[in-house]
Amino acid sequence: MKHLRSTAQRFVSRGMRRASVLAAAAALCSGAALADGKLAIKAGRIVTAPDAPVIEKGVIVIENGRIAAIGKDKDVKIPWDAPVIDAPQATAFPGYVEAHVSRGMDRSNESPEIVIPFLTVRDSIDPVNFFFEDCLRAGITTINVQQGNDCIVAAQGMVVRPVGLTIDDMAVKYPAGVKMSASPRRGASAATQAQSLRRVFSDLRRYLEQIVQEKKDGSDRAHREALYQGRDLEGEKAKGRAMEGSAWKVQGLELIPRGEIDEKQEPLLALVEGKLPAFIWCGRPADVHLAIDVARENGFLARTTLVIDPSCWKAADVIAAAKVPVVLQGNVLHTEFDPLTGKEHETFVPKVLHDKKIPFALSSLNSTNQALWYQAALCVGHGLPRAAALAAITTAPSKILGLDKRVGSLEVGKDGNVLLLSGDPLSVTTWVERVVIEGRDVYDRSKDVRVQHLVAGKQPANTAAMNAEELDPSKVCCDGSDEKAHAKHLEEQKRAADKGEGGKDGEKKGDDKKGDDKDKKDEKKGDGSHDGHGHGSDDGAHTGGAEGARQ
Amino acid sequence: MSFQFSTSAAAVLFVASSALALSSAPIAAQSKKSDEQRSWTITAERVYTAEGDAIEDGEIVVEGGKIRAVGKGGGGDLKVFAVTPGLVDLSIRIDQGFLSVEQSREVTPHVRAAASLDVFDEAWMRAVRGGVTTAMVNVPDRNVIGGLSVVVKTAGELSASARVVKADAALYGAIGSAPSSGNRTASPRPEDFFVRRPTTRMGVEWEWRKALFDAAAARVDPKRAKPGDGELQRALDGKLPLVIQAWASQDIRTAVFLVEEARREGWGNPTLIVDAAAEAWREPQLLVRSKAAVVLPPFAPLGRSGDRSFFALDTAAKLEALGVPVALSGHDAEALEDRLCYQPGYAMRGGMSFASALASVTLTPARLIGVDQRVGSIKAGKDADLVLWNGEPFQPTSKVVGVLVDGRLIVDPRQAANASSSSNK
Repeated sequence: MKHLRSTAQRFVSRGMRRASVLAAAAALCSGAALADGKLAIKAGRIVTAPDAPVIEKGVIVIENGRIAAIGKDKDVKIPWDAPVIDAPQATAFPGYVEAHVSRGMDRSNESPEIVIPFLTVRDSIDPVNFFFEDCLRAGITTINVQQGNDCIVAAQGMVVRPVGLTIDDMAVKYPAGVKMSASPRRGASAATQAQSLRRVFSDLRRYLEQIVQEKKDGSDRAHREALYQGRDLEGEKAKGRAMEGSAWKVQGLELIPRGEIDEKQEPLLALVEGKLPAFIWCGRPADVHLAIDVARENGFLARTTLVIDPSCWKAADVIAAAKVPVVLQGNVLHTEFDPLTGKEHETFVPKVLHDKKIPFALSSLNSTNQALWYQAALCVGHGLPRAAALAAITTAPSKILGLDKRVGSLEVGKDGNVLLLSGDPLSVTTWVERVVIEGRDVYDRSKDVRVQHLVAGKQPANTAAMNAEELDPSKVCCDGSDEKAHAKHLEEQKRAADKGEGGKDGEKKGDDKKGDDKDKKDEKKGDGSHDGHGHGSDDGAHTGGAEGARQ
Repeated sequence: MSFQFSTSAAAVLFVASSALALSSAPIAAQSKKSDEQRSWTITAERVYTAEGDAIEDGEIVVEGGKIRAVGKGGGGDLKVFAVTPGLVDLSIRIDQGFLSVEQSREVTPHVRAAASLDVFDEAWMRAVRGGVTTAMVNVPDRNVIGGLSVVVKTAGELSASARVVKADAALYGAIGSAPSSGNRTASPRPEDFFVRRPTTRMGVEWEWRKALFDAAAARVDPKRAKPGDGELQRALDGKLPLVIQAWASQDIRTAVFLVEEARREGWGNPTLIVDAAAEAWREPQLLVRSKAAVVLPPFAPLGRSGDRSFFALDTAAKLEALGVPVALSGHDAEALEDRLCYQPGYAMRGGMSFASALASVTLTPARLIGVDQRVGSIKAGKDADLVLWNGEPFQPTSKVVGVLVDGRLIVDPRQAANASSSSNK
């Protein structure tokens, strides 16, 4: 833990650039400054883990970000100086864990260079991205951000908490692993992809053998290159070490100070030595073989997670035999057409994974958007035991991330990541009321202006969306809830209709909120139409692609 | 309102259930055989009739494709957790490719969706798996006034005419970007096939007003008569519901103003149903004033809906509280969570009661298009269209495990209980 924190402290502060614009996001994410303090949560019910019995009238005490005590209120003593969140109606539940997502970054994939393990999403994560705010709303408290799937070997990922305005604040685990793809990237054939992926590791081997040979021959080219690039050759980096790993080894690597190894190759070496997890994207069932073969040939199968498309359920036996966990991305339902009969066949993928005993995590990169809980609920409907469905959004992803000692369930010593829910975690009428991350009270639905927008169309004032709206004449709406006003401007409307688009004349009326009786009357009615300027362009940042999909 | 239950049927109930227990072999869906089983006894912990309170430990007797009786009981040949009426979806877009649009004119009120039904389309089964047993198939939204909708059963005999519940049930048209999208003005390439009007929302509105005006004028001046006048006149008279697709606020108000203009000018008194009314929450009083009903598209967790609209989660609850009839719709969506069986759940998340949410996918849509004598609730004498659930209806933790259409077991709950995949033949 200490190691992780010190790594985090070295991060360069980023992400303040948009903070001033997105005041609402900032307000949500700043949280109370309790990181090193104490917090007690009294909840009507506590569910500590997917398969744990319910604790009625329970108390959770969090100290220094970790759970210090948990149990029935008569058994747990609340420290006298701990602030208390008293929620007798709420159900406390572990924060949901996102095992793999490519959102939350402000840039798309790196395209010209496709073997880029030396890059890191740490430099791309946008702390004020709306995605993180949405995560809080959906109860997701731990997120593994990995680069997209269109790659051979992509950047290193990072586990973050959706709170904080700098990457330092957000960091939970870095590096979280290297992303790879066994699926043909855009414009490539499957054969090219397979060859490229394998060549990454044969190139690494050749490179290592070459520098060992050069060292033996007395040439110090790698050393000079390292100095030229300004690499650190002090301390551990100055020492050589025999190559570890289970698949193949380069003899004589102990001759090479680790700092001299090219930084493009170094993460790959860490992978082969079993020191870094791998996340391999499989877009088709056929890709599963390649992913597993490459991981096995290079000795990192034990630290590999497959990120699978729903169609990969067909390779379930291969996955089960390889004993690798998976993250299901895209959809819980796989649909295909029988080419002979034209009939549509649907397969509920999590059920197959569960039946084959494959450890799996659900993912927010899904047609249901953030709703990890919703997907888990669908799993129950389609025949999974409740505990297995809940595990797919809590304990299973925490294990995949190697964070099972920190997140995924509520136990003494684990991170104080607690959701306070209005009801059963999987009920459609349940809301995330409060979110506590490592003892910090970071989300309160009653103060979440944007949830009011999503639920009742009440757009918060002075948000980015409002400004964007004013610039976009195609998104004008006007207030028409008053009968008298309408009778009056019906004629205007009629004339306007002949000339141009109906409704533009109301723009000013909608904006002018002060003064006249008409507006007061509307406020009483409380239909929210005054506030209804937005077409939700605030979430445009990450849903733009889906816009108009249903047209 | 209480459900109807004939006492004479109660006697039959146990006879029927014991007789049918012998013939409960799995039935192939969409069987062509005429002697297939259309009589069942279904028991459920909860029967939601949509006609009143739920019946605990209820039993439904189906005979010859009709509901014979409903009441307390046990020991049927199909046992599930809950039963609801078959769901009614007023906005199914099956077989709506661009080429299926009549492109010779923008206003084609006489074109009939009933004439182009493709009963072999796999989308029907998708709708069935979403619990839909009665669907209104609308003409494509690429025309301003596209034509006549048809109400059909989603499964049964492989014949379009046999499935029709009500032909020419509504006159369907669209306002918004859809009818003008793809159209181009003649300036760059005058020979282009897509050179046709309208090219803007303004043009769409103009075409609507012109069509309604011309139809009204043709009543007094026979020289103005042209194909489609009859349909438009019936819609103006309120005899044929006028269903207008309008996602965005500005398009909903255009629809309302059109109808109000027709009333004011004495052209008639149309019955308005706004389809895909995602932004109906913005100006609900307009809908109250014009006595319009709405059909809502699938709920959008992040608010983004079609035609650049923003769909607030409490729309259904808000409109219902104001007395606006609300029907939910799956819009033929492919995504699992967009299917109609999950939409009432979202409506409940937005504040609607279970009873209202149930009505919004059963009795309300059935009434809006005048087929509530046959479908929309579980009542003796109505069609045996039933949805069987493995948990509380509309919760994501529940699934549609069985579907009966006219007494035919299209989705078999006994198979769903065992299979790891939910594919249906």
